[in-house]
Amino acid sequence: MQQSPPALPARRPDWLGAGIVGLALAGLALLGVNIILNMQATGVTPGYGFLAQTAGFDLSESLIPYSSGDSYARVIVAGLLNTVVLALASLLLATIIGVLMGLVSVTPSPAGRWVAILYVELFRNLPKILVLLVLYVITVRGLPPVRQALSWGPLHLSNRSLYLPAIEADPRQLWLLAPFLLSILAAWWWVRRARRIQRATGRETPVVLVAATLILAGQLGFAALAEVPLVVSVPTFVRFDFDGGARVSVQFLVVLVTLGLYHGAQIAEVVRGGILAVPTGQVEAARALGLAPWTVTRFVVLPQVLRIVIPPMINQYVNLIKNTSIAIAVGYSDLMSVSGTIINQTFRPLEMMLITMALYLGLCLGASSLMNRLNIGLRNRSARNVS
Amino acid sequence: MTTFKSLVTATASSLVLGAAPALAGPVMDDIKAKDSLICLVSPTAPGFSVPDSQGVFQGFNADFCRMAAAAILGDASKADIRGVGFSDSMKTIVAGEAHMGSRSITRTGTRDADEGLAFVATTFFDGQGFMVPRSLGVASAAELDGASVCAEDGSTTLLNIADWFGAKGMSYRVENIADKTARLEAFFSGKCDVYASDVTALSADRQLSDTPGDFVILPEVISNEPLTLVARPDQAFEAALFWSFQVMLNADSLGISSANIDEIMSQLDQKTPAVQRMFGADSATTDMAAKLGLPADWAYQVVKQVGSYGEVFDRHLGADTPFGLVRATTPNAHAADGGLMYPFPIR
Repeated sequence: MQQSPPALPARRPDWLGAGIVGLALAGLALLGVNIILNMQATGVTPGYGFLAQTAGFDLSESLIPYSSGDSYARVIVAGLLNTVVLALASLLLATIIGVLMGLVSVTPSPAGRWVAILYVELFRNLPKILVLLVLYVITVRGLPPVRQALSWGPLHLSNRSLYLPAIEADPRQLWLLAPFLLSILAAWWWVRRARRIQRATGRETPVVLVAATLILAGQLGFAALAEVPLVVSVPTFVRFDFDGGARVSVQFLVVLVTLGLYHGAQIAEVVRGGILAVPTGQVEAARALGLAPWTVTRFVVLPQVLRIVIPPMINQYVNLIKNTSIAIAVGYSDLMSVSGTIINQTFRPLEMMLITMALYLGLCLGASSLMNRLNIGLRNRSARNVS
Repeated sequence: MTTFKSLVTATASSLVLGAAPALAGPVMDDIKAKDSLICLVSPTAPGFSVPDSQGVFQGFNADFCRMAAAAILGDASKADIRGVGFSDSMKTIVAGEAHMGSRSITRTGTRDADEGLAFVATTFFDGQGFMVPRSLGVASAAELDGASVCAEDGSTTLLNIADWFGAKGMSYRVENIADKTARLEAFFSGKCDVYASDVTALSADRQLSDTPGDFVILPEVISNEPLTLVARPDQAFEAALFWSFQVMLNADSLGISSANIDEIMSQLDQKTPAVQRMFGADSATTDMAAKLGLPADWAYQVVKQVGSYGEVFDRHLGADTPFGLVRATTPNAHAADGGLMYPFPIR
């Protein structure tokens, strides 16, 4: 399969490209200098000293301990973490919805195809902020207020939050990290062993069940032996709200569902396109070899689909990360919301916007570089398999 | 550039007018030279400044622009009222592109320290308050420990709540929602127990519910928001604004309004000395007019064309408007009724 690449022409300096890039950079520099000079003329000097000052406002939710007495720097971190969690959860949901709908859209069943088309066209053609507000209003009106919360044992749901029992945090729980890593190592070893046996003898050994048992048993066994406190806290109602346990806010769930549905529709199209791009001849050839339908999908279609869809999926994922900023409309304290409040208070729009831009840029570049690596990895693997 | 331009107009107008009054400054002269007073208001503030079907701003704040034009130019319609966003309007005044602003600007220390702006007269005393559903059975904000509070994302309201609950050692949970529809929906549906905003905004927003009677505004006001007229610094102009406002307050306490001013003028010699000092032909106001460079009948024009303070308040915010504010229950009541509106003596 190895072919020698055609000889490349000798590299010449790219004067035009250098000129365009140089002009763009010079324009940016001019703009920057102009902004700084103008700010100085009105007595404002750019600076980041405000980051250490007290923020003075609270957040609807935070993953790290935060109160209004903490600094602006800390509230930015809290907002960033909220954005990251929302983005990760939405990525997962959008991918699941998108892959399912993409598969449904190419099934031979006309009903399935119609459902998929209806879904895709509906969510692809509506502004996401509108979808968000409609879902929010429906949810807030549809779910009962906290006093009449729906309850299933220790689980409660109101238009405020979903309340769950949780294990109370204790610093000694950090000790669980060691057996956790150990059991993951053990599970990894078992998976490799199973794969080796299968390759050598074709015999299949149970993988998922054994790995899950290893991880869980390692945890609980250690917890029992070392007497690490695992106290379950159950949400109970006091005066205005539930206290104790964990909570997932309704605004988080609504934004999650909005982004899941909106990007799910786009991912469904990407997946459909990917499946249609696999030549039918390959499927027919695989069937002619006597492979079962699932085996055809698993070993002939999916590996090729994956390679086709990853580049457009990078685009979808990056868009989704940026689109988490619509959460500001319904009161989820994400990076955008925090940044807006800080600008209003400190009157440092330039500095704060630069920070916000850098953080979003970092998130999106990180996500796309991860996906690119996956893409390259897949390509190398299939190249190895072919050669 | 601007200073140069205003210098030229100042010189030109003093040449035309011959003997310019001693106090008249560049801003006053600029208004007279243009025969128009540029006044900035908020582009959309129900009750305070909203454009009507002809695109002319109407409302409580817009009427103070008309007051200034009536006093200085003798014609309220010569107020060139423009709707501009908050931070832009401050810059526009400092840059000298507008004469004054009447747009619910809270007078604060750091803002007053800016030399490009002069705060003149507080036309409205507002403050941040809380609204709760009647069914919650809460009579005082002190009972709100542990409550969920809806407030506008990014606003100073968030800071005031954090300060207030923190100082009382009470816990709360904030719902900082940027979209107004979502925010009100969250409150009306009981997603949050409390809605926090400026008291006037609370009474306006309550009207958007299907059942406004189900919600009560708690008595506590947790911040002071003295909403004040701002002017480009010019002693004569500032004095003209301040005393025009005092004429409206004095008219209010003397029971004089745009409806009865002509009747009062026709029998002025039978009226009290206070009324005669305000509207008489050779009175305190004519003396001020000569010194400040105003038309001799400026006090009459203010009341005739705009009205008394109480009249303006009731016209835009009073019981017959969607706001339904009862002035006597707000800090904007007359000082004699326990409010903060204290008329200074015109003599």
